[in-house]
Amino acid sequence: MKKLSILVVDDDPVIRRLLQQRLQKANYDEIDVAEDGVIGIQMMSKKFYDVILTDLMMPNGVGGIEVLEAAKEINTDTEVVLITAHSSIDSAVEAMKKGAVDYLEKPINFDELFLRLDKIADVKTILRNAQDIQQAKDVTDHAASETIQDMELQISKLQNKIDELEAILRNSSINSEERIYQALDRIAED
Amino acid sequence: MIKITPAEIKTVAQYIYDISGIHLDSSKAYLFETRLSSIAEEHGCKSYSELHQQAKRDPAKAIERKIINAISTNETLFFRDKNPFELLKHKILPEIIDARAPRSPGMKTNIRIWSAAASTGQELYSIAITIKELIKNDPAYNFTLLGTDISDDAISQASYGKYNKFEIERGLDQRVLRQYFTLFGNTWKIKDEIRAMVNFRKFNLMQPFTGLGKFDIIFCRNVAIYFTLEDRKRLFNKIADALADDGFLLIGSTESLSGVCPQFIPKRHLRSIFYQKKA
Ligand SMILES: C[S@@+](CC[C@H](N)C(=O)[O-])C[C@H]1O[C@@H](n2cnc3c(N)ncnc32)[C@H](O)[C@@H]1O
Repeated sequence: MKKLSILVVDDDPVIRRLLQQRLQKANYDEIDVAEDGVIGIQMMSKKFYDVILTDLMMPNGVGGIEVLEAAKEINTDTEVVLITAHSSIDSAVEAMKKGAVDYLEKPINFDELFLRLDKIADVKTILRNAQDIQQAKDVTDHAASETIQDMELQISKLQNKIDELEAILRNSSINSEERIYQALDRIAED
Repeated sequence: MIKITPAEIKTVAQYIYDISGIHLDSSKAYLFETRLSSIAEEHGCKSYSELHQQAKRDPAKAIERKIINAISTNETLFFRDKNPFELLKHKILPEIIDARAPRSPGMKTNIRIWSAAASTGQELYSIAITIKELIKNDPAYNFTLLGTDISDDAISQASYGKYNKFEIERGLDQRVLRQYFTLFGNTWKIKDEIRAMVNFRKFNLMQPFTGLGKFDIIFCRNVAIYFTLEDRKRLFNKIADALADDGFLLIGSTESLSGVCPQFIPKRHLRSIFYQKKA
């Protein structure tokens, strides 16, 4: 099974059904569908999707751009791929500027779609690894910083003590025996 | 990738040290190759000694700048290590605000803060956000926030205040993100109210600190680690001179000043350490 949760948003029942079937066949196990933008947005606010495949032109004032904006608003980790007619390539490019990862022209070339999805999955894996390394580094840094900061304070305290001992031992207003006693007392103090 | 010879490592490492103070481990040939190979190719050089020669001859110092950009590690994040910013909010700022309270009413409280290796700006913006959250828009305070770095690329990104989602998501919670940044496509841009609080400029910490003035708070974090002990000593002595007598210094959470600068005394508050000058 491939680890990407996908939401298909399209008002055309034929395309919706086709996408769902082809994705399932290609071993993507977690696929949900929404029959328009409004329902799509409702669904993505209830559940996290790695990828949203959305048609650009949809009715009721909620098209692919609105779906994209809502998806990014809810969680920037969600990647949005737009499906567009050739005539609306310009708006697809506009959508890329707004944060879509990619767009596909109709009629959908499924090999192309799977390549894009594989790429998204790869990037997500690399990212997860980078985050793991980052977290491991944070843990190490944190432990190291506690040790270093404790030592820093200890050293400063000892330096202070040494300075005081020096002052005592150099104190010419008392005899040498008294200096030694005072110095020993100072050493015994915390 | 162009291979580097041991002799070239020596000359190039010395050159990098001369222009930036950055001390590179000469046993790590790959470090030179991965970072400099594309610059060499771009300038039509077949070897690193050729690149070195060209860099030295270039009066506009364009190659030198590229080398510095490539060699410096700009790794940073918003609210890095968290604790120093808690310390800033709960201890340092309140104390400095008290100490700098104007003697006559109507006068402003002036406070100067320096992020001495600002990289791409996250540290200084985190400071600015902390200040904003603490004093809101109170006109009684006049903060000067300066960020400097040797890398032009870093400084120019800092000045734009633009970050991609990977740079932004580490360290920033959603509330702060939404309040102080605006999303444009895939990039987040710091809002003008925070941008207007800060200034960035290029500055090499190896140089004398003339014309910088005195600061009340200095952040010099995770940069001295790239310098030799001798250079670190010189750096922190200059920092001591640039810091107000009752000012505060913060260094990286895994750095130490023991044996580096006896003028500074470490003090602990909450869960972190800051330094002040010996009385
Ligand atoms: C790892 S970043 C630290 C950023 C930030 N202070 C932090 O702790 O997250 C180190 C920065 O030091 C800068 N740097 C290295 N040598 C420098 C020099 N001689 N003068 C000024 N900046 C320098 C690098 O360009 C880099 O951006």
